[in-house]
Amino acid sequence: MSISVATIQKRWKDTGGKDPIFAAIDGQNCPHLPSGDPASHSLLLKRGLFRIFLPWPPKAPDGSRIDPEFTLEVVRDPTGCNTHPEYGLNSANPTISVYRRPRPIINMKYPTQDRFGAGEFVGKTGMPASRDPDTNRPVSMNLMSDARHPTLKMQAIDAAMNHLQYAGKPTDEQIARIVAFEKQIYGAQVWRKGAGSLIEKDGPTSFGPRALAAGEEGVLGNNTSRWVFPMGDAWKTPQKKEEAEMRASIRRGHDIFTFRTFWIRDSMHLNTVGLGNPTKRTCATCHGMHMTGMDSANGWMDLGTTNLPWAKETPRNPWTKEQPEMPLFRVTCKAGVPPHPYLGRVFYTQDPGRALISGKCNDVGTIVMQQFRGLAARAPYFSNGSAASIRELIDFYDRRYNIQFSDEEKLDLENFLSSL
Amino acid sequence: MRARFAWLALSSTVLIGAKAPADFAFVGCPIVRDTKSVPCWLAEYRGELYYIGIQTDVSAEFSPPSLGHKVLVEGRISDEPRICGGVVIKPVKVSVMEERAEDCNLLLPAEDRYDLPFEPPRPPGPSAGRLAFTYAPPPPAPTPPFKPRSFDIHYDFNGTVGFSTPRFLQPVLKYAREVNASKIEITGLRGATQLDDGSLLIEHDYIAEKRAHQIADLLKGVGVTRPHYVINAHINYEIGDWKVRRVTVVVSP
Repeated sequence: MSISVATIQKRWKDTGGKDPIFAAIDGQNCPHLPSGDPASHSLLLKRGLFRIFLPWPPKAPDGSRIDPEFTLEVVRDPTGCNTHPEYGLNSANPTISVYRRPRPIINMKYPTQDRFGAGEFVGKTGMPASRDPDTNRPVSMNLMSDARHPTLKMQAIDAAMNHLQYAGKPTDEQIARIVAFEKQIYGAQVWRKGAGSLIEKDGPTSFGPRALAAGEEGVLGNNTSRWVFPMGDAWKTPQKKEEAEMRASIRRGHDIFTFRTFWIRDSMHLNTVGLGNPTKRTCATCHGMHMTGMDSANGWMDLGTTNLPWAKETPRNPWTKEQPEMPLFRVTCKAGVPPHPYLGRVFYTQDPGRALISGKCNDVGTIVMQQFRGLAARAPYFSNGSAASIRELIDFYDRRYNIQFSDEEKLDLENFLSSL
Repeated sequence: MRARFAWLALSSTVLIGAKAPADFAFVGCPIVRDTKSVPCWLAEYRGELYYIGIQTDVSAEFSPPSLGHKVLVEGRISDEPRICGGVVIKPVKVSVMEERAEDCNLLLPAEDRYDLPFEPPRPPGPSAGRLAFTYAPPPPAPTPPFKPRSFDIHYDFNGTVGFSTPRFLQPVLKYAREVNASKIEITGLRGATQLDDGSLLIEHDYIAEKRAHQIADLLKGVGVTRPHYVINAHINYEIGDWKVRRVTVVVSP
C-alpha cells in the first residue's frame, strides 16, 4: 500500500542500503551522490521522500512545450540536484527535482472514480480535465499528487520508465497485470490500541477494508444519507470498560471532523471557488469524498504545506547544526497574468506541485489530496513528509487556520484519524 | 488549404456607452460578519456598510469576495431593511480586485442583533446531500434546420476562466455538438465601470483577447476541433454594468 519512514529505516538496516528503494535515480537526494552513504539518502531515510524529476518548462500530454506563467529560481539546493550540471534546471535537459511521499495503493476505485466531480472541465479552475487516452473519457485527476497522469495504466508506465528506469517499454500485458493487482487491494485500520477491533459486526460501518470494498465510489459525503465516514450507531451502547474510553473518543473525533467549524482562509482552489475568503466550514468540506475523505472534485489545493509562509521552515541561527532539508524556489508570476491571490507576484515554495504540470501561477504549491485510510501505518504526512505524526498534522491545521482546538479535541481527532 | 484558425483584433469599434451603467458601483473593503449560521458579507464605502450576500456554496449565483483584496460592488441600493447591519444591494455583482489590499482584513464576530432574516440555503457544515441551488433545466435538443446561435459568457472584473466558466460554456459545447458545428466565432470584449466617486475603472487592455483565446482553447480542449474558429477581440472598452465584460460565441451549423 504505502511505506512509512520507520519501514524505510528498517529496510535500510536489513539490506545495508541495497534494497531497490534506495536506487540512485529516486531513492537518493540526487543520482550524482555516493550510493550507500546515508547522507545521500537523507530525505528518504528521515522523511520518507522519493525524488520526483520533471521537465521544466512542463510539457503537455502531446509533448508540446507549455509556456509557464511564472519563472523559477533556485534559492536553496541542499540536495545539489536542482543546480547540478547533469540533473538540474540548467542542464541539457532542464529538470526540476522535488521530493514527495508515495501515495497509498489501496481502495483505488475511489481515487479513480469517474462520477461526482469528474467532468469535462476541472471544477475548481474551469480548465479542460485530463482524459483517459484509451476511452477519451474525462477523469477525476485525483490519482497523483500533481495529477500528471490520468489513469493507473499511465502511472504504471511512467513509474516503469522513470522510477524503475526500465529498459524499453513494459508490455500491455505487464501493465494490465499491474493495474489489476492494484485494483484488488483494499486497506484500512482494523485494530486500534485501546479500542480493540474496529471491524466487529456492530462496529462503525465505514471502518475496515471490507467496508471500502463494498462501499460506493464517486459519492460526495453529506450528513444525512452518506456521511464521509459513516459510523452508524456503533459504540453508542455501553462498551467493555477497557475499550469504552477510546471508542467514545473516536466517535467524538468523528463529530469534530464533520461538524467543528473554523475559518478556512487563503487556500488556493478552495477559497477561490465561490465560497468566499474566508469561508466558515469544517474538515469534511474539503475532505468530502464518501469513504476516503479525499476531495470529490479534481482535488489539488494549496494548504500551505509547501508554500511559504506556512511550509515547515526553521529559522537559521549560528548555534545549531540543523540544516534545511528541502529545496527552496523563488516563484515570480510573469507580467500579463494576475498575481497569486494570496501570495502575490513573488513568493517561495519547496515544491510547486501541480504548477510543474500546468505551468499556472495560481497552481504553485497545490497538491492533490490523498485518502485518509490506513493513516496510522504510513507516517510521515503531507506530500513533503513535513508532519512526523498525526498529531503534528493536526497541529499544522490548527496553526494554519487558527482553529484553536483544545487538547481534548486534538486527541479525539487524532484517535479518529488513526482508526480509519 | 483553408485556415482553421483566424484571429482578428477589432481596434476601430466604438462601443462606449452601449449599455446603461450600474446604478451604484464602488470599490471598497469587504467585511465578513459571523452569524450563528453562515457568515454574511458586507462592504464598506464612505463610512457606510452595504450588505452584499451570504456564504452558500459553489452553486450560488453570488460568490463572496475575499479578505486581503478590495472588492468591486455593482448593483442597486434596495429599500428593504438592513441585513447584518448593512444597506442591501440587490441585485449585486461583486468582483475581487487582483492586487493585495492587506488593510481589508476585518472579520466581525457574531452578535445576536445581527441575525439573518431568512434561513440560509446551506449550513456551514456538511450539506444535506445536495447543493444549495439548482440550475434551470437545459433547453430541449434543437431540431433541423439548425441556425447560428449566440451565447454570452460573463466575467468578473479583469476575470478570465474560472470555476464558474464551465456552467456558461456547457450550453455552447452542447449546441456545438448537437449541430455538428462547422464554424465558431468568438468575440472577446472588455468593460469599464463608472464608479460612484466619478472615476472610471477600466479592465486590462489585453483582457478581451485573452478571454477570447481562452474560450477557444477550452472548446478545443474538450474535443470541439472540427469547426473553423474565428477569434475577435475588441480593444476599446465598453462602459456599462457587469454584462459588458463578456465573450460572445456564435455557433454555426
